[in-house]
Amino acid sequence: MGQTNLIRELQAIVGAEAVLSAEEELLVYECDAYTLEKNLPTAVVLPRTTEEVVAVVKLCNRLKLPIIPRGAGTSLSGAVLAVDGGVMIALTRMNRVLNVDARNRRALVEAGCVNAWITRDAAPHGLFFAPDPSSQSACTIGGNVATNSGGPHTLKNGVTTNHVLGYEMVLPDGTVEWLGTEPDGGEEVEGYDLRGAAIGCEGMFGVVTRVLVRLMKTPPAFKTFLGIFESVDDASQAVSDIIRAGIVPGALEMMDQLITQAVEEAYHFGFPLDAGAVLIVELDGLRDGVEAQGKQVEKICHQNNAREVRVAKDDTERAAIWKCRKRAFGAIGRLSPNYVTQDGVVPRSKLPEIMRFIRATSKKHGLRIPNVFHAGDGNIHPLILYDERKTGEVQRALAAGHDILEKCIALGGSVTGEHGIGAEKIDFMPKQFSADDLDAMKMLRRAFDPAQRCNPHKMFPGGKRCAEFAPRKQAHA
Amino acid sequence: MTLAPNSIEQLREQLPKAKAVEAMDLSAIGELIEHVPEDMTATVQAGMTLGDFQSQLALQNQWLPVDPPCPGALSIGAQLAGNATGPRRFGCGTIRDWLIGITVVLPDGRLIRNGGKVVKNVAGFDLCKLFVGSRGTLGIIVEATFKLLPKPEAEVFLKKECASLDDAEALLEQLWQSDLQPHVLDLHRLDGRPVNLVAGFSGARADVEAQTTVASALGLRTETNLDYDAAFRPTAHVTESVAPADTINFLHSITDCDFVARAGNGVVYARHQHPEKFKGGIGDDLVFDPPAVQTRIKNIFDPEGILPTL
Repeated sequence: MGQTNLIRELQAIVGAEAVLSAEEELLVYECDAYTLEKNLPTAVVLPRTTEEVVAVVKLCNRLKLPIIPRGAGTSLSGAVLAVDGGVMIALTRMNRVLNVDARNRRALVEAGCVNAWITRDAAPHGLFFAPDPSSQSACTIGGNVATNSGGPHTLKNGVTTNHVLGYEMVLPDGTVEWLGTEPDGGEEVEGYDLRGAAIGCEGMFGVVTRVLVRLMKTPPAFKTFLGIFESVDDASQAVSDIIRAGIVPGALEMMDQLITQAVEEAYHFGFPLDAGAVLIVELDGLRDGVEAQGKQVEKICHQNNAREVRVAKDDTERAAIWKCRKRAFGAIGRLSPNYVTQDGVVPRSKLPEIMRFIRATSKKHGLRIPNVFHAGDGNIHPLILYDERKTGEVQRALAAGHDILEKCIALGGSVTGEHGIGAEKIDFMPKQFSADDLDAMKMLRRAFDPAQRCNPHKMFPGGKRCAEFAPRKQAHA
Repeated sequence: MTLAPNSIEQLREQLPKAKAVEAMDLSAIGELIEHVPEDMTATVQAGMTLGDFQSQLALQNQWLPVDPPCPGALSIGAQLAGNATGPRRFGCGTIRDWLIGITVVLPDGRLIRNGGKVVKNVAGFDLCKLFVGSRGTLGIIVEATFKLLPKPEAEVFLKKECASLDDAEALLEQLWQSDLQPHVLDLHRLDGRPVNLVAGFSGARADVEAQTTVASALGLRTETNLDYDAAFRPTAHVTESVAPADTINFLHSITDCDFVARAGNGVVYARHQHPEKFKGGIGDDLVFDPPAVQTRIKNIFDPEGILPTL
């Protein structure tokens, strides 16, 4: 069947206005927030119902075309790159919050529902959805399920897999399965935990269409501290000491001097420009415990040579701190025309070591590397700054990222804590896992997608790579 | 047949040659590999009992937040295979939420790892989730890495006897709507005695004390413990799981049963008061029809059928 016939058949399923096939329309879909590799899908469809998704998937099945499920395209790893063309199924029109079930602390939403909308609709019931990636005002719950998204507040509450009870998935053969807890059902589900096994599958097992999320009670009290430290080492030690004291804060985030300066210049919060590191510690819970643990946190910060410990005086100030933190990547444009974000993880106790290594790497490659990261989880986000107009900088930036991720593996960590493998980190998989480890993952994939047509050429080495590999500026996280 | 390997290497040799494995004794593979208190993680071999593991962690004032009955007789491997839970699951979740890495011997003898030792990790597919609760049908977990929690500074359990299920429901609603954050929320009716509501609070001492005061105003004044769970569960005939809000309705439907119910989770363990009248099933027992994916997973991981079916 030719291209025209494919488009006609897709239009018959979802309607003409929900099929994009002209090159200028497809350009938006040539990549996600990982912009080093690009390729156009054959067509993009924007279905409105699960039934439409099923019909599109069955058509692709018949024509043996790749299927690429897509949410808002905020992935930082090329997870939704159409490496080999194919039909991209964008879930952005299936974006409703279908039901907030306050009594069961659950919400049923469509896959294209924006993460932040869930908490917006749950808040009047005193409830919230815990995973809060920095892109939460744009990214979709379907994408969160596909990548097992995290965020600053996952230290205490966990990541997406801990907060998704069940979901509807259209498998690559067009069958529809509800995996996990059903909207009116109990937590205990017979059989294998297919729900858990497919969260983080990076769109390679099927198309998620509806999601049942778990809501948590909004904590009655918050206390948000800014610890101003002379050095990253001191701040890292404070992180270890807080955890060692038996305190599990809601969030424990660090910004080094470079990023603090950029954030201050962009958002004028009042961060000191000469501090070596700023630690954001947020305690949440019941009032008395938060107060008691707050005193301990202040003490630990001072014991580690904190110059100053500030407390957010009200919700407005707390919101301002988080705005600065979540938009930190956006402030980088002031420092450099281009940057590449890394997403490594090390055991918490190795934080001082990896930060020293990053400083050495920065010197070695002659590139500035500011850091803003989830210190409590050991999840680092070095931002490697470069200028694509300068000869050799792109290669040096990639080499620096490479060095840092190899060090994360050597320290017993991982090459990704939340951004995923996608197209970007395929080459690291054989470094972090043995051939047999990878084969076991492929065995699971074969059970969901025997023909391997769902988001192909991702995660594992040996697949096709994009012809165009042009380093460019990355969008904000 | 039962396999009782004395090392992981021996298990790798035995398993591919075995036929119809019914049981696995991993007691010879039961070392604590490491516990890193500052990382709040620990790696342990599957043959160690949960009780021994918790004792080791307690030396550093940490614990793995699961509390199934009889931890002294439950190996880590069995805990993972069955996803065993206890009353604290309302506040702490299940072992699925705490497992971050596994080492597995596949039926063909290959040793594979999934996940890792760090608390946040999305490299590769999540086989940890697949293996938890798979009852040893896909491979044998020989080693597991967990994230841990500090032991709570304080923990208290309070109960109130209720005149009826309706009274219990009213109290439950009050608790649900309050600012209290119980980590245990149970109802039980034992030996035909009245229904009791049990709420547990743990965490910072100041929090526990403040919550105790609030709970007391709701009538939860008698201090208790959770011993009823381990005593009752092994005798229960049936487990039923409903949406949490449907728990009381379900309990109304089993008037002639004793029960322990996780009211916050909607999980009910019930025992018929006249077992001789028990016909094998209460509530809406549906025959489970496994999705095709599940059958394919089993066939791909264990094509020779060496391990039991689910």
